[in-house]
This record gives sequence, structure tokens and C-alpha cells, in this order.
Amino acid sequence: MTKTQKQNLDNVIRYTLLTIWLLIVLFPLFWIVATSFKPDKDWLAWPPVYWSEEPTMSNYNNVWGGAMEHTETQYAQSVQKPFTALRNSTIISFISTFLSVSFGAFIAYGVSRYKVLSETRMFQLLMLRMVPPIVLVGPLSLYYTTIGLIDSLTGLIAIYFITTLPYAVWMTKSFIDEVPIELEQAAEIMGANRWTIITEVVFPVIRSGLLATFLFILILTWSEYLVAFILSKTDAVTLPVELAKYEGSSEGRVYGRQAALSVGITIPLIIVGITIRKHLARGFSFGMIRK
Amino acid sequence: MARSEIMLQRTKRYKKMVLFPLIASILLILGPALILQLYLSFNYYSIYSEGWWASEWYALDIFSDVVSDSRFHIAIVRSLGFALASTIGCFVIGFGLALLMYKNFRLQWFYYIIFIIPMLTVPIVIAYTAEMILYQKGPLNGILSSIVGRDMLIMWITNPDIALLTVVLMEVWNWAPFSFIIMMAGLASLPKEPVEAAQILGASRFKIFYEIQLPLLRPIIVLALVLRFLEAMAEFPKTWAIFQGGPGTATETIPVLIYLNTWYYFDWSKAAAMSYIVMMMMVVIILAAIKILQKENKRITQAQAN
Repeated sequence: MTKTQKQNLDNVIRYTLLTIWLLIVLFPLFWIVATSFKPDKDWLAWPPVYWSEEPTMSNYNNVWGGAMEHTETQYAQSVQKPFTALRNSTIISFISTFLSVSFGAFIAYGVSRYKVLSETRMFQLLMLRMVPPIVLVGPLSLYYTTIGLIDSLTGLIAIYFITTLPYAVWMTKSFIDEVPIELEQAAEIMGANRWTIITEVVFPVIRSGLLATFLFILILTWSEYLVAFILSKTDAVTLPVELAKYEGSSEGRVYGRQAALSVGITIPLIIVGITIRKHLARGFSFGMIRK
Repeated sequence: MARSEIMLQRTKRYKKMVLFPLIASILLILGPALILQLYLSFNYYSIYSEGWWASEWYALDIFSDVVSDSRFHIAIVRSLGFALASTIGCFVIGFGLALLMYKNFRLQWFYYIIFIIPMLTVPIVIAYTAEMILYQKGPLNGILSSIVGRDMLIMWITNPDIALLTVVLMEVWNWAPFSFIIMMAGLASLPKEPVEAAQILGASRFKIFYEIQLPLLRPIIVLALVLRFLEAMAEFPKTWAIFQGGPGTATETIPVLIYLNTWYYFDWSKAAAMSYIVMMMMVVIILAAIKILQKENKRITQAQAN
């Protein structure tokens, strides 16, 4: 076999394998989009209906428009409040992420420049993330009930803030480490104090890194399920929890509505994630892989 | 001399400024929950009690009850097995894809973008989508049937022998991208010279991979495995949303069992004792993991500095 033949064979194998996985990745995504446009009768049809012959917007209208007249069948709507959930999710994830990243960045600066946390302490900080949340949410819900934080946005913001802090500290530290110290020394000579140096020299230099950290943690918080599920009842319900409410008591799962809501929840995340794709490896590896 | 003293003072001041709020917020948010968890493990609390403060002292009875509970033992083994299987699954697929893709080729960016989508998808959405796809007369069996040519009606969800495997498959779909992006970064950072030298010396591709690339990648491989394993131990939404621990007890992992005990059997004390044991177990595992990570992180840092 000549070299070019071998290369061609390589390419055929490569594209075949990659395309197989591509189909595996895309099929569930296709299915959920397709289902969101299906009328009731196609949800559970056999043989399966891949793309409905009479696509409908009624699922979207029902979920996001709350319009009863758009449904062919009437489903209980009293418990479903997608807009409240959307508002909650937005407030909770943005505020907790903002707190986590801004506080995390200050800790990270201290670690990077002054070693305020030793290396071992830095690794111990990871505990906040690595201990499975299930072991604490029960007692936490009792604690929150006692102090009146159960089913409140504040309660969820607090817990998300603390559990995403390790990511914020580690990821921002990896960016701050790359800022040359000479920059700060120059600012110091010109008489800037610590606060000015941090906020007006260091943070602006790593602003794209800070933004990437922010968006990365936003993805984690936005999609979190367990903690929100347990600490919310009606007022603080987030989108992932809301999704479970699209179950009629007599009709079973309302696939089309769920699909329509799922599409709405997921698309923003995919867009954000693709935008920061160069930083995802850094984020998930706690900044250990910097590339 | 003066300069180093100023430095020391600054360090101290900065330390106070960030460490105080850090420790305060940990204690304020998590401290009471940790104390309550321990308190409930020794005091029997049920929903018939007036409140958690009115529970009854049980000494070590709750712990001994949990320790001898075979359902709990099986859940631990199941969780470890699930975490191990899904970690390996994610890694094999993620690393495989990375090996196929790390050298530049025409559609690289396109495949890369598509391949990272699963890990950006909300886990609970994956669970509900999987349920739509996997029910007995669903599209997956539909596709399999048309490939095989006769009706393939695999009971992905209702067969207790398959259920846990189904969760593993969901987890692999969800998180193979994690291993993929980490191994892509690892492969891209490999120095080119050793590989080229070996090629000139006539080493086979397999030999180059096994004897040069793999050892260089070791720290990153360890990182990918350890982090994924720890996250898999905590997996809840995909297991819960479809299965609630069933069929039977086939998918009853640690998180599911604790959830059931707390919110289905209202046996808060038992759940607290279980949580306490699991937490201690996880702390031991995490400390070991941290030790490994710390060691490998040094190597990664060194390699990246070069």
C-alpha cells in the first residue's frame, strides 16, 4: 500500500467513526426538537413518527403563551408557571454566579500573589464541590425551614454561591497567574493602592477570562437540579424543576410540552457553551489544564 | 529587609480580608446543616415529631441500623460500579474521539462543536429525552428494529437487568465530551519532537502511542478519570427522573437511596446517618483523589511551563 492510499484509508476510517458518534450525539437532540413540534397523537406512536406530518406550534404556545385555546386536550395548568421559573432561574444563576466569580477572583488574587491559601488548602477547597450534595440537602432543608429561607431565591443563591466557589477560585487563579507581575509593580510605583491595582489593572487584563469563568459557572448553576428540587416548593422553582411539572395526573407525561420547554432551557446554554468552548477544558479541570 | 516586611504585612492584611468572609460564609451556609446531620443521626426525628428539636435520643441505634442494612450496602456497591463503568465509558469514547481528531483536518471545528453539546445540555432534559427515546415502543427500538429487520423491543427502562446499564449509557452520552475536551487539550500540548524522532527511527504507530504519547499524557488521563469518577458518584437527576430507584431496586444508587429515605419514607434520621457515613467515605476517597491530583498537577504545570 502506498502512503497516499494509507492516508485515504485513514481518512475513511476517521470520518466513519466520527460520523457514527455525531449521529449518536445528534439523534436525541433532533428527537427533542422534533417532539416539540408534534401534536399529541404523534408523541407515542408506533412505528415512531420521526417528523410529524402536521407540525404544530401548540406545544410552544401552551408552554410559553400559557394559551389554553391552543391545546387540543386540556391539561391542568395551575401548577405550571414557566415564566416564574424562567425569572427565578435567571435571577438565581446570575446573582449567585456574579457573587461567586467576584469573590472567587479576590481570593484567587490573594492565592496567586500572596499565597493566602497554601496549595493543600486550595485542594481542600475542592471539597465544597466534590462531596455529593445529596448528603447535605436534607439537613440543609431543615435548617432553611427553621430560618425561613426554604423556597426562597436567597437560599438557593447562597448554596449555589458556596458550591461553585471552588471553580471560581481555581479558574480565575489560572488566569491571574498568567498576568505579568511587572504590570502591577509599574502601577504601584505610580502610587496605586492594592484595590486600584486589582480592579483597574489585573481584572481588566483578564476580563475575557473572568467572562469565561462567569459563563462557565452560569452553565453549571442554570442546569443544577437536585438542590433546587429539594429547596424549592412553589415560589423559588427553577426551570429544571419546572420541567418535572409537565406531568398530567391522568394523561401521563406530556411529552410535547416538556420538549418545548426543554428546547427553551437548553438552547441558551448550548450557545453560551460553544462561545466559551476554548475555556471549557480549563473550567472543568479547575484550571489545571490551561492550554 | 523593609520591603519583605511590607510584603509580609500586606499578605497578612489580604489574608484577613478574604479568609474571614470565606470561612464565615462556609460556616453560615453549611455549618448548621452539618451539625443537624450529625444531630439527626443520634436523635430520632419523624414527621410526627413537633420539629427536629423535639426528636428522641437514640444513641447509636440509628447508626447500627444503617450499618447492618443490606440495601445500603448494595447501594454503595452499585454506586461505585456505576461510577466506575461510566467513568471508563466516558474516557474510552472521549479519548478515542480525541485521538481521531487532534491533528488538524478539514471539518475539525465542526465535529468539535457538535461533540461538546451533550455536556452543555441540562441533565434533567437528557433524562426526559432519554425516556422519550427509550420506552419500549420508542424511536431507539424503532431504529434497531429497522436495522435488524424484525421487531426489537428491548425494555431499556422496565427490565431490572438493563436499567442500570441504561443510566450508564445516559451518563456516557452526557459526559464523554468532558474526557474528549480534556484529552484534546492534552494531545495538543504534547511536544512534537519525541514523536518525530521515533518516526524517523522507524517505530510503529502503536509503539509511538504506547511508549511515548501515553506516558506523557498520564497526568492528564488521571485528572480526567478522577474528576469524572467523583462527579459520577453524585449523579442524581438522570437516575431519579426516569427510574426513582426502580424497577425494583435496580437503579438505587447512594443518592437515590438517601433521597427515598428522606422524602418517601420520611425516615430522616436513617437518611442522616447514611449521609454521614457516605460523607465520611467520600471524604476519604476525595482526600486520596486530591493527593493524586496534587501530584499530577505538578507535572501538568511543569509540562505547560515548557
